[in-house]
Amino acid sequence: MKSFVRLVASERLKLSKSFIWLLVPLSPLLALAIGLLVSFDSYDISESQAKYAMLVSAMSSFHSMLFLPILTGIFSAFVCRYEHGSGGWKQLLTLPISRTALYCAKFIVVATLIALTQLLFFGAVCLAGAYHGISFDIEWAPLLMAIGGSFLACLPLAALQLLVSVSWSSFAAPLAINVMLTIPNILVLNSAKIAPFYPWAQPMLTMLTFSNDSFNGSAPTISNMLITIAGSFFVFWAAGLLYFNRKEV
Amino acid sequence: MNEWVIETKGLSKRYKGRYAVSNLNLKIARGDIYGFLGPNGAGKTTTIRMLLGLIKPSNGSVHIFGKALNKDKLSILRRIGSLVEYPSYYGHLSAVDNLEAIRRILDVPTARIAEVLDIVGLAKEARRPVKGFSLGMKQRLGIASALLGNPELLMLDEPTNGLDPSGILEIRELIKQMPKQHGITVLISSHLLSEVELTAGTVGIIRQGELVFQDTIENLHQQAKGSISLSVSEPELAMTLLKEHGINAIMNDSSILLEQTNNETIARMVKRLVERDHSIYRVEEKRKSLEDLFLQIVGEGKRA
Repeated sequence: MKSFVRLVASERLKLSKSFIWLLVPLSPLLALAIGLLVSFDSYDISESQAKYAMLVSAMSSFHSMLFLPILTGIFSAFVCRYEHGSGGWKQLLTLPISRTALYCAKFIVVATLIALTQLLFFGAVCLAGAYHGISFDIEWAPLLMAIGGSFLACLPLAALQLLVSVSWSSFAAPLAINVMLTIPNILVLNSAKIAPFYPWAQPMLTMLTFSNDSFNGSAPTISNMLITIAGSFFVFWAAGLLYFNRKEV
Repeated sequence: MNEWVIETKGLSKRYKGRYAVSNLNLKIARGDIYGFLGPNGAGKTTTIRMLLGLIKPSNGSVHIFGKALNKDKLSILRRIGSLVEYPSYYGHLSAVDNLEAIRRILDVPTARIAEVLDIVGLAKEARRPVKGFSLGMKQRLGIASALLGNPELLMLDEPTNGLDPSGILEIRELIKQMPKQHGITVLISSHLLSEVELTAGTVGIIRQGELVFQDTIENLHQQAKGSISLSVSEPELAMTLLKEHGINAIMNDSSILLEQTNNETIARMVKRLVERDHSIYRVEEKRKSLEDLFLQIVGEGKRA
């Protein structure tokens, strides 16, 4: 366990002084800008909880529909980037670490970056709320659940992207695949039949549980989402581990 | 019981039906510098990748420090330092941070980073980002990271690739002192015999995936037999004279070449020639260079 912590620390060191840290606050900042521009005037809402629901709904649409899945792909590609150049895998894998541990360490770094993004998003919601003078006296649990659930929904995507990033030495190709699978979200989210089973739509669906609205009026149940998230995570994760352990370097 | 640091038995690697390495039996003794030679594409790097567990052999076994590689991989790797093909580096980080990333995994004291940087002579450049390093400096950084974990065995795959002559000399001196000063066994691969000739104690020569020579460098020297070349005033007359005395010689341009090189024969021959008033300009010993022998072994695939 101690050696695993050291391995994660080593992975983190590689990300220091890199531009990846600029990408983390990007989407929350954009969401903040949207949040500041939201106008409650044309709606007759007085309740704080409802106001937050509307605020989050506006702020999270781009964030959870497009940016979060795409950022997940970028983070995954990024943690493999340095190894693909100039024989880095060879050096790394001749060190006394198991491939499974290394794969997990890289995954944890990606997950941490997504978690940071979500944390900043939560901060952006609070800031926008304060700007509009909405009382903080609301139930926070559903919002935190939505943001946390959205984070969990990104993990299967991270697992798949890590698999693709490990196998292809190109930085752009995994990103292209990722964007290709994320863009259909715009359509898929409107389908009550497909959306609950489309992994790339889950970050948005989990986020929508807070504002209780859905694109077509029939919000998928939490259990349905959990099955999709856990199922796709297991498949992508197992495939990635299996592939990485057999990869010839 | 087992004095070999590396021992492979019937090691083979097959790619799509073609053997990149076949039936390799390497034996590398403790404290030795083993020169692993072969032309490009002979299977050197493939072998080293198998020795490091980067790829799985199709057949055969690898034992390092007397333990099976496929069973004790991590504990074996902990005692090995390696540099495969190109030095790997994180360009945006300084030399110190590059080593720190590896140090965290190996769990050696922080002071070790300064030590290895000192050994490879990079102490002054330690804080600069590595992307601004010259190839020679990157190569030295690669060797520094290989040394970081106080390895007992160092595997260097073409460590002088792309270096200028002074860089090659520097690396050679560095490698030479490893067994003496640090008790490290070194496996160094190269496609140039001249490069390992001065450092290695044992050489293994690989050709098309097969080991065609494995012996000490002294024995390789002995295989490189010499010949005597005579340069005289009238070579044709001299030839007939030598034939009369039953000495086998070959005419080569205007000089006479003798395969036998024992002292009596030479003395007798020179005496006869002088008696017949031949002017002898030169008596030279011509040694076949190791490089010639290497090319011959690699070219013909003569089994030794």
